[in-house]
Amino acid sequence: MENFDVEIAEILEVDSVNMEDHLTSFDCWDSLTILSIIALASETYHVTISASDVNGAASVGGLKSLIQTKVK
Amino acid sequence: MNLHFKNKKVTGILTVLPAHEVHFEDEMENYNSTIAKSLKLKAAMGFNKKRIVADGVTSADLCIAGLTHLFDNETLRMEDVDALIMVTQSPDYIMPPTSNVIQGYFGLKHDMICLDINQGCAGYIVGLIQAFMLLDQGAINKVVLMNADVLSPKVSKKDRNSNPLIGDGASITIVEKSTDNEEIFVSIKMNGEGAFALQIPAGGARLPSSPETAILKEDKNGNLRSENHLVMKGDEVFNFVQTEVPPLIEELYDYSKIGKDDVDFYMFHQPNKFMLNKLADRLGVERDKMPSNIVENFGNSSGVTIPLAITFNLGDKLCNQKYRLCLSGFGVGLTWAGMMIDMKDLSLCKIIYN
Repeated sequence: MENFDVEIAEILEVDSVNMEDHLTSFDCWDSLTILSIIALASETYHVTISASDVNGAASVGGLKSLIQTKVK
Repeated sequence: MNLHFKNKKVTGILTVLPAHEVHFEDEMENYNSTIAKSLKLKAAMGFNKKRIVADGVTSADLCIAGLTHLFDNETLRMEDVDALIMVTQSPDYIMPPTSNVIQGYFGLKHDMICLDINQGCAGYIVGLIQAFMLLDQGAINKVVLMNADVLSPKVSKKDRNSNPLIGDGASITIVEKSTDNEEIFVSIKMNGEGAFALQIPAGGARLPSSPETAILKEDKNGNLRSENHLVMKGDEVFNFVQTEVPPLIEELYDYSKIGKDDVDFYMFHQPNKFMLNKLADRLGVERDKMPSNIVENFGNSSGVTIPLAITFNLGDKLCNQKYRLCLSGFGVGLTWAGMMIDMKDLSLCKIIYN
């Protein structure tokens, strides 16, 4: 998942992210952002996550470990 | 499940769309979201224009307009209709069947079968399967398959999740016996455990419509809708389509012995551009072989988007050329289906506006 930080920053419309950043704190955050994250997980990492998984992950780091756990 | 049909052909496709057009921007102020976010959604999903019926116009009205066109132009003779199938989730009445109402409107012969099928996004393929099965009977030479949905009145105007994409429309497909020996292959699957991923909760026997079911409630994304409205679990539907449709199409390639490169066009149900382009990429199909221009021009009219993709993108070409098409529908049910079918020499393939 070496490109994850770049990929998620692009979806969140920022130059870079910190692992502790709260997902809902990003200006662009809405249901389309959630769908874009679900699509990233599906396309790039071939794992299925739900909207409630994303909401439950809370932070960028939480999201990264959610996807990492599913990949394994 | 894999199905095989022989000696059947589609001989005409007419799509009927409402004359009234609504632009995404016209309804943007209804949504509990900033303009910037709405415009981003528009770009990502490919929303632009959609076709919506005038108040009071029903699925049967659109089909009657289409059949009138076919009868008046002598593309179809009333006495030749041996079966009338209506695929819809928005029937005119709970009883009687809409197909019978339409039969009665035209005074068609009594020696025929009328049949309503409650199916959504894959409804066109389910309807074609039913038409082919009826044509196995000696007494049935011509089936008229109507597929219509008028779901705009069932969507909350304040639901940014569904309202921008829903359009209304109808299609009429003429299906006949053939002596060409051409084969049609179908792969279809269903999963009722996902039945509530797309639903209208109230209005049936389980939860009759009442003043309570008409109360608008806000979901966690700020959308307002009532239990009388259509509701879609977008994330579940997205994951379902990306996970289930590609292996189904692979199964169809294997079963039909028709390879990816042998298909001229992939005419798929049109949920939105985002989902369709991701599906095309996953299938490894060039985007110009899988049109994704229906939602931006007309909205998503459920199963009707498949015949609409054919009439809009191929039109007259199907009246004098042969194309090998891979059709696919996926959604409500959950149902997902694919069909390999050759189409050529259609008596008509066009859109009319009513």
